[in-house]
Amino acid sequence: MSNRFRFAAALAILALCLLPQTASAVDTGSADFTRYVAFGDSLTAGFCSGGLVRNCQLGSYPLLVFAQATGRSPQEAATVFQQPLVSSPGISGQAVCRNPASPLYPCGVLRLVSLAGASPTILPIPGQAVPQNLTLQRPYDNLGVPGATVHDLLFTTSGGFHDLILRNQSPPGFTALQQGLSTHPTFVTLWIGNNDALGAATAGDERLLTPAAQFDAEYRAIAGAIAGTGAKMAVANIPDVTSIPFVTTVSRFVPNPATGQPLLINGNPIPLIGEDGPLQSGDFVLLSAVSEIQAGRGIPASIGGSGIPLSENAVLTAGEAAVIRDRVNAYNATISAVASQYGAALVDANAFLNDVRAHGINVGGITYTNAFLTGGLFSYDAVHPTAFGYAYIANLFIDAINDKFGGNIEPVDLFPFVFGTNGIGNPTAASADFFEPESVVFSPEATHSVIDVFVKAKQPAKPRRHPKH
Amino acid sequence: MSWRRLASVRWVVAAALLLAASGPAFGAGFGIFEQGSKAMGMAGAFTAQADDPSLLFHNAGGLAFVDNDEIAAGATWIKGQKADFTGAAPFPGPGARGEQELLSEFPPHLYYVAPINQTWKWGIGVNAPFGLVTEWKNPNTFPGRFLSTKASLQAFDVNPTIGWQISPNFGLGFGAIGRFSKVELNRNIGAINPFTQTAVDVGKVKIESDGFDSGYGWNFGLLHKVTPRISWGLSYRSKISIDYSGDGRLTQISTGNAQLDAIIRARTPFDTKLPVKTGIDFPDMASVGVAVGITPRLLVEVDANWTGWSSFEEVVIKGDDPTASAVFGPNATPAQSRGTVIPEGWDDAMNYRLGVRLDSGPTTQWRFGYVYDETPQPEEVVSPLLPDANRNGFTAGYGSTGPGLKWDVSVMYLKFDQRERHRSLPNEPTFNGTYDTTAWLFGLTIGWK
Repeated sequence: MSNRFRFAAALAILALCLLPQTASAVDTGSADFTRYVAFGDSLTAGFCSGGLVRNCQLGSYPLLVFAQATGRSPQEAATVFQQPLVSSPGISGQAVCRNPASPLYPCGVLRLVSLAGASPTILPIPGQAVPQNLTLQRPYDNLGVPGATVHDLLFTTSGGFHDLILRNQSPPGFTALQQGLSTHPTFVTLWIGNNDALGAATAGDERLLTPAAQFDAEYRAIAGAIAGTGAKMAVANIPDVTSIPFVTTVSRFVPNPATGQPLLINGNPIPLIGEDGPLQSGDFVLLSAVSEIQAGRGIPASIGGSGIPLSENAVLTAGEAAVIRDRVNAYNATISAVASQYGAALVDANAFLNDVRAHGINVGGITYTNAFLTGGLFSYDAVHPTAFGYAYIANLFIDAINDKFGGNIEPVDLFPFVFGTNGIGNPTAASADFFEPESVVFSPEATHSVIDVFVKAKQPAKPRRHPKH
Repeated sequence: MSWRRLASVRWVVAAALLLAASGPAFGAGFGIFEQGSKAMGMAGAFTAQADDPSLLFHNAGGLAFVDNDEIAAGATWIKGQKADFTGAAPFPGPGARGEQELLSEFPPHLYYVAPINQTWKWGIGVNAPFGLVTEWKNPNTFPGRFLSTKASLQAFDVNPTIGWQISPNFGLGFGAIGRFSKVELNRNIGAINPFTQTAVDVGKVKIESDGFDSGYGWNFGLLHKVTPRISWGLSYRSKISIDYSGDGRLTQISTGNAQLDAIIRARTPFDTKLPVKTGIDFPDMASVGVAVGITPRLLVEVDANWTGWSSFEEVVIKGDDPTASAVFGPNATPAQSRGTVIPEGWDDAMNYRLGVRLDSGPTTQWRFGYVYDETPQPEEVVSPLLPDANRNGFTAGYGSTGPGLKWDVSVMYLKFDQRERHRSLPNEPTFNGTYDTTAWLFGLTIGWK
């Protein structure tokens, strides 16, 4: 070997050592994150506490998965992986914040104001949010659309949060799926179908469930379109939506106004009254019923209530819950079959929430449960995860991707999410991304309308896109 | 037995009780094999020699060959050099660090052996063959504080033994073991602050046994001097279970939010002595060794030791009145149907010892040794409560063998393999990372023959 050659070889080795560490430093197996697109709904968007807000979006599971898969910090990743960021206090999913006639307008995500009294006080943060990434000249990488169903991903191009996220991008009239696939992704995550079941649970109306056959056909069409591009995929299934605190928090017994605990008469609790009479074991009272109960509904006149039954949308009966669970199982059978068919990684979100319900998950001695406010996994809307919850979900995706594609992507470091040291998800954290907390003045009307938050919960049954099977 | 002998026994026991109040510390799992400086100089490869009073621990069969009254007392100074933790994802993450208070403990040993007649001999030993202190610095910020901030186990044995010299070269020994032990477990209590939806410290819990609780067992030893140059031995010490009673005490830590503090205070019995019970099953252990005199001055011994650590399945803490049960279980929550259960699930483990003894003069010896000590602890349960690892120990020692005043000194450098944890048991806390530990041990034993 000539000296010149040795010198050149030494230089080459030195150059290799000095090259900045790039995405290739992470062993992603046969998964390629060069172009990663996330399809889904609010859970994919990083929606929390009733709204879409930067502080939670910066902890969305797609962003965290991308960061880990490309060896970037979440902050660095956020400059590459584009999301429809919204400034504080966020764009709420609630009419009470978006309707100029509302006494609370304008307002954004929810926060806990006080634990005093029998019910905690949760109010939207006042203020007008501004979309921050509207001018991006290409589709977002995170195409999670709050409220979207399987049908929406396949067919919807505008309306609701679609307007914010799809922005009528050129060419106009593309769905989220079309926009995402037009960017030629190498890797796709797909977590859609939650809203096909969730609306039924939060409105106590099983008729809102997407029929299983329709779900199957539409889901297969979506997965087939993604697979047709050659992109590799991770899909997540649908959790048991009857396990979320929106459904499980309120007791089916008349509360003692002083303590919030069930009122005992002769040592016995008194069931609340629903449309079918006293609520039975297995019936759920939804969180949206709190304002009705505070107004005396569902409480027998003999003990000081109005005697008027709780509204149909405030109760999820045992029978309705069973129908929802069965339907979710049917959806998940489709998702599982599709994952097998296309060699996709399968994230078992259903098993995860079942674990949470059965015994919680323990991280370093802290037990996270599905309890509202104190469980640590669900944000103030009782449906969507906290920042910790999203980070944990990101790790479920990473585990499934590593298993399926033979990679060795490091899990997300949960420490800053456990202790809140990164400020993500905490509306009152002193974070560079967030404003100072504002003082909240709330009127009695406002208090009444607080829990009146959940987009679908109080609406009359939606016009049926598809007849009930 | 003469009055003088009885008086000696009383002295041994009284001194032992005083010494045992200091906290012992170290060993494979939470065993401490360093129970005499002569044996320690040979890394504990002593089962086939058992020729000083520490035979009461190493092999009671050696008692059969005792032909003079002999007393020995000493201690091992266990000096931690490093005991660090570095976290790994997902929790507590690579940025998390922990450092233990470095050990400085003196587990003592006292032995008295004497012939009764040509055939029968007796002896009594007091030592600390088990013990543990794992105490983390900065207990209010250590990332593992919700699992453990301090775990301390003290134990001492009183071990009267009979030796039976069946033939000039074959001896047996039988002993009874009374074990006296106390335990302390401290940790912080974490909860979710609903205002920030992040974890906060809301209190501390300290569980401590009331004084020393006791358990009983037995031991057996055999020593066969096959030729003047070759011997072999066998030793067994039984499993001992100890039930502890004590108190749990909860102390509140302010979260900085008065509303939250008030709610927690209303629901938690802070600053109350809550009666609790717990138990530990100490393992049985067996040793076999062969010693060969290569030359008249040079002896080599090889030992294998088995410890039945599978007895250490779990630690269960139970409340002993309704208030305490509501905190620790049983039946406080479905998960606490049996009490607060800390799963351990250890495996039986081996260690291997090589010792070399070189006579440097008529009454002086150099000793050297090496021990490989296999951890009984599965990866999933390596935790701040007790992080164990495989160890390599290198020893050297020197001593005078009497008659009259005898003394032995020894030193051991104990290097733990880095212990990594990357997985957890189902439904048990995630706490990944690497533990890195080294220690020095110094032994001194002084005797009179």
